[in-house]
Amino acid sequence: MQEVINKWERIELGGEAERLYSKPRSFAEDVWFRFSHKPTALLGLIIIALLLVFAIAGPYFTPYGYDDQNTKLANIPPVMQVYPAPDGNFLYITKALKIIEVDKDGHLLGQLKKGKDNSKEKITVFPYKDDMTVTLDYTVMPATIRDADGNRIEKGKSIWNHTYLLGTDHLGRDILSRLMYGTRISLLVAFIAAAVNMVIGIFYGGISGYLGGRTDAIMMRIVDIISTIPLTLYVILIKVCLDDGFLSIVIALSSVYWVDMARVVRGQVLSLKNQEFVMAARTIGSSTLSILTNHLIPNAMGPILVTVTMLIPSAIFMEAFMSFIGIGIAPPLASLGTMCNDATEALRTNPYQLFLPALVICLIMFAFNFVGDGLRDALDPKLKK
Amino acid sequence: MDNDQSVLLKVENLTKHFPVSGNRVVHAVDDVSFTIKKGKTLGLVGESGCGKSSCARTVIRIYEPTSGRIILDGTDITNLSQKELLPHRRKMQMIFQDPYASLNARMTVQDIIAEPLRAHHICKNKAEEREMVAEMLHQVGLNQEHASRYAHEFSGGQRQRVGIARALILHPQLVICDEPISALDVSIQAQVINMLRIFQEEQELTYLFIAHDLSMVRYVSDDVGVMYLGQLVEKCETDEIYAHPLHPYTQGLLSSVPIPDPVLARKKENAGIAGDIPSPIDPPAGCRFHTRCPYAEKRCETEVPALKEASPGHFVSCHKFG
Repeated sequence: MQEVINKWERIELGGEAERLYSKPRSFAEDVWFRFSHKPTALLGLIIIALLLVFAIAGPYFTPYGYDDQNTKLANIPPVMQVYPAPDGNFLYITKALKIIEVDKDGHLLGQLKKGKDNSKEKITVFPYKDDMTVTLDYTVMPATIRDADGNRIEKGKSIWNHTYLLGTDHLGRDILSRLMYGTRISLLVAFIAAAVNMVIGIFYGGISGYLGGRTDAIMMRIVDIISTIPLTLYVILIKVCLDDGFLSIVIALSSVYWVDMARVVRGQVLSLKNQEFVMAARTIGSSTLSILTNHLIPNAMGPILVTVTMLIPSAIFMEAFMSFIGIGIAPPLASLGTMCNDATEALRTNPYQLFLPALVICLIMFAFNFVGDGLRDALDPKLKK
Repeated sequence: MDNDQSVLLKVENLTKHFPVSGNRVVHAVDDVSFTIKKGKTLGLVGESGCGKSSCARTVIRIYEPTSGRIILDGTDITNLSQKELLPHRRKMQMIFQDPYASLNARMTVQDIIAEPLRAHHICKNKAEEREMVAEMLHQVGLNQEHASRYAHEFSGGQRQRVGIARALILHPQLVICDEPISALDVSIQAQVINMLRIFQEEQELTYLFIAHDLSMVRYVSDDVGVMYLGQLVEKCETDEIYAHPLHPYTQGLLSSVPIPDPVLARKKENAGIAGDIPSPIDPPAGCRFHTRCPYAEKRCETEVPALKEASPGHFVSCHKFG
C-alpha cells in the first residue's frame, strides 16, 4: 500500500520543489522563435544571406573585374543562337553583324576578321581558318550565313555562353562580375546609410522625446519641414552640390532618411519615459545617460530595428535610381542602377542587360521587406503565444 | 519642530499644479502638510484622481513641487538639484503600483535589483553585487536562481517582491508605497503586506502608504490622512478615524467599505457619496467637497475651511467643526 502523502504540509523553501528546470528564454530567443516560424521572413533572410555571399565572395571566383572590357565581344547574350561552322565549331552573329567563333562547349574564341565587303549585294565574306570562308548575308534581317559554296547554313541549336555566363554589356564587360560588384556597392551604400540614419535618428528623436516641451516642438517642426519636401529631390540636390562618387552618395542618403527614424524613436521615448520603470529609475537616482541607454533605447529597439530594415530597401532603391539617372556612382564603378542605365540604350536588342540588374534589385527589395515584416511581427509582444 | 529628531518626513504646504493647454492648471496637490515619525506609517487614502500618487511623486521629487517644503531627515530637499539630491535619494525609495509596468522587461532580475547599487556606486565588484542581490532576494522570499530571469517570467506577486527588493536594497529610511497591492490578487496582497510589516519591524522603516483600500490601510497605518481633490481633509490616528470619522467625505468613504457579514451589511444605512469627483482643473470654490456633501450650507460654497484640530490629534477641514 502506498503511503498517504499529506499534500497540505508545508514544504521547505528553496528545496527541490522550487527548482526551475526549464531554461529561461531570453527576449532575443523569443524573437527568433517567432521570426523563424514565419516562412516569408525566413526566405527573405536566406535571400539576403545568399546575396551577401554573392556580393562579397563572388568577385573572388570570377576572372573578370568590373571594368575589364573587351569591345570585340560586346553585347553577347548569355544564351546564343549559333550556326554550325564548317569545322564543327559554331558561329554567332552579333547584332552589329560581327561573327564570333564559339567552340563546342560555348567558349567564345574571338571575332572573325572581316574579308571582302560587298555592300551592294549586302554580303560580307569572312575568311575562316586558313583555307575556308563563310559569307554573311544581310539582305534580309536577321542576317544569315552561307558557306563557301553559297548554300545557306541552317540555324543550329541554342548554346550557353561559357565565357561570360550572363553575357556582356555594350563595352564587352562581364555582366556577372559587374552584378557582383554592383550588388556589393548597393548593399554597402544601403547599410552605411541605414546605420548613419539610425544613429542620427536615435539621437535626434531620443533627445526630442526625452526633453519634451518646447525643445520637442521645435525639433519636430524641423522634421516636419524636412519631410514636406520629397526626399528624392533632396538627395538629387545634395548630389548636385557634391562630386560624383561613392562617398557623396552615402552622404546624400545618410543626411535625409533619418527623419522617419527620428519620428519613430521620439514616439517611443515619449511613451516610455512616463512608464513606471523609468520613473523607478529616476527615484533610484540613475543618471539620464543610464536611463536612456538601459531603459529607453532597449525598449524602443523593436520599432527601431523594423524601421531600419524597411529603410535599407528604400536606400538601395534610391541609390539605384540616382545611378540610373546618372548622378550616382561614377563609371566605371558598377552599381545596379548604372547597369540598368547602360542597358536602356540597347533595350530593344539586348533586353537581358536590363533584366538581370533589375532582377537583383527586386530580390533585394523583396528580401528586406520580408525580413522587416517578419521582424515587426516577431518583436510585437502582443502576438506572443 | 524641524529639529524634532523623531520626525523623518515633514511636508509643509506642498502644492503641485500641472499646466494643461489653454493656460489652465490641474490642481493635483493643494496645500498639503503632514509629518511622519521614524518607524511609523502614514496611510494616505482617497478615491482615484484625488492626488495621492501625485503627492507621493512630488515628495520623492519625480515631480517638481510648485510650492511648499519637503524636509527629509532634517534636510530641506525641496529645491535641491537632481545632482544634489542624489545622496538623499538613498534615504527614500518608492514601491510602485503596477508590478508589470514598474520593471523593465529587457532587464534580468539581477540587473533590476542591482540598479540602485550601481547608481550609487556601492559595490566594488560584480561578485559583491551578486552577493547583495542574492541576500536581498532571499529576504523577499525569492531564491537566487530567479536572478538570471526576466521580469515577464514571474507572477504579479513575485514581480512585486522584486520591486520591493529594488526599493529596499539601499536600506532607505523612508519607503513610499504607491498602492503596492492594488494590482495584486487578494491572496497575494496579505503576503506582500505582511512582508512589508516585517521589514518595518526589522529595519525601523518609515512608510508613506498610499491606498484606496481602507481595510488594508487600517491594518498597516499608525496615522491616516484622507485626501479629496488634492487637499488633505482629515488626518488623525488610525483607530480614531475608523471610530469617529468627522469629515462627511471620510464618513462616505468608510460607509463604502464592503462588510463581509451580509446580516450586518443589510443593517448598515448606505451613506455612500453621491456624484462624481469634480474636475481638478476647476475645483469648486469654497469647500471643495460642497458639491457632493449632504450637509453643505451656504458658506461652504464661498469659504474655504481650514484644517483645524477638532479633538486632540484629530484634524479636519470642515465648517461643521470649529
